[in-house]
Amino acid sequence: MSDLSDDDELMAALAEAVAEADAVTDRRREAARAAFSWRSVDAELMELLHDSALEAGAAVRGPGDPGRLLSFGGGSLTIELEVGAGAVTGQVLPAQAAAVALQRTGAEDRTVAADGAGFFRIEEVGSGPVRFVVTTSEATLTTAWVTL
Amino acid sequence: MDPSYSLQALVSSAKEGDQDAWNAIVERYLPLVCAVVRRHRLSEADGDDVCQTVWLRLVEHLHGLREPAALPGWISTTTRNECLRLIAARKRMTPVDPMDSGSLEEVTDDVSGADLIAVEERQALREALAQLPAGRRELLLMLLADPPIPYADISERLGVPVGSIGPTRARALEQLRNTRAVRALMSAPLEPGGGRR
Repeated sequence: MSDLSDDDELMAALAEAVAEADAVTDRRREAARAAFSWRSVDAELMELLHDSALEAGAAVRGPGDPGRLLSFGGGSLTIELEVGAGAVTGQVLPAQAAAVALQRTGAEDRTVAADGAGFFRIEEVGSGPVRFVVTTSEATLTTAWVTL
Repeated sequence: MDPSYSLQALVSSAKEGDQDAWNAIVERYLPLVCAVVRRHRLSEADGDDVCQTVWLRLVEHLHGLREPAALPGWISTTTRNECLRLIAARKRMTPVDPMDSGSLEEVTDDVSGADLIAVEERQALREALAQLPAGRRELLLMLLADPPIPYADISERLGVPVGSIGPTRARALEQLRNTRAVRALMSAPLEPGGGRR
């Protein structure tokens, strides 16, 4: 931290602060602005409850280990997800039939059906920010965004 | 939108669905998000993804945001967490060689507290700059330009005598120190790992 009571040091600190703002790319600016179009005041949210990526020892993987495990919960529903190589498999709990939509920016929603036990699978899921919208006979819940 | 527009006003307009207010919030805090991302050394593409996730999460978070002053802290914390999660997720997808002990370490947060304090300090300086009257802000920005702009050019562009540039700079810096953002910086307590003179 520089000594801000000194004019030259304050100017040097300001130069760094301004340079940091100038380094922002238009691509990130556009994406950040466009995020606002996902505003949905009424959506009922499911918060991220668990992300195995942050577990101690997460980096120690062996063959046959599951992929990244995520769970979200809110209202009366929980959704558990396993992110494998390319595909996402998951279960809606309590177990029940549901429609599960994968949403991402700049792409059409992809909706799959969860069977009577709540299981579903979505193929070819690439990296990037995603969220899931679960529609059961009683409710529609939307997960928080997560980066895959 | 006027850069000095209060965060409180921007947040309440954005809650009502005002895209211009949202864009102004983006303009104000995107440098902070990018600076935190840069310190975590993600790939450019992963950095873009984290960045977008942070803004998507803020869209959700906005209507529950009671105290706009908490926003910068929320943004830097959320960005940091998203970076750590993605780094961990990427390591997870990469097969590890058990003989290479380095890759068996847990995901550690190697970005120092001091580093993040410096990032938040630069954010506070940008906000202070935005609070200055337009004329003084422009003068400081011209004086900060790289490559430097000759005083004669600054004098011509701003329509002020060359001899007044030095004294105006001094007054502008004094005013900057008196903004709430910089006063808070200069009186902030010592943070662990974040030295302050």
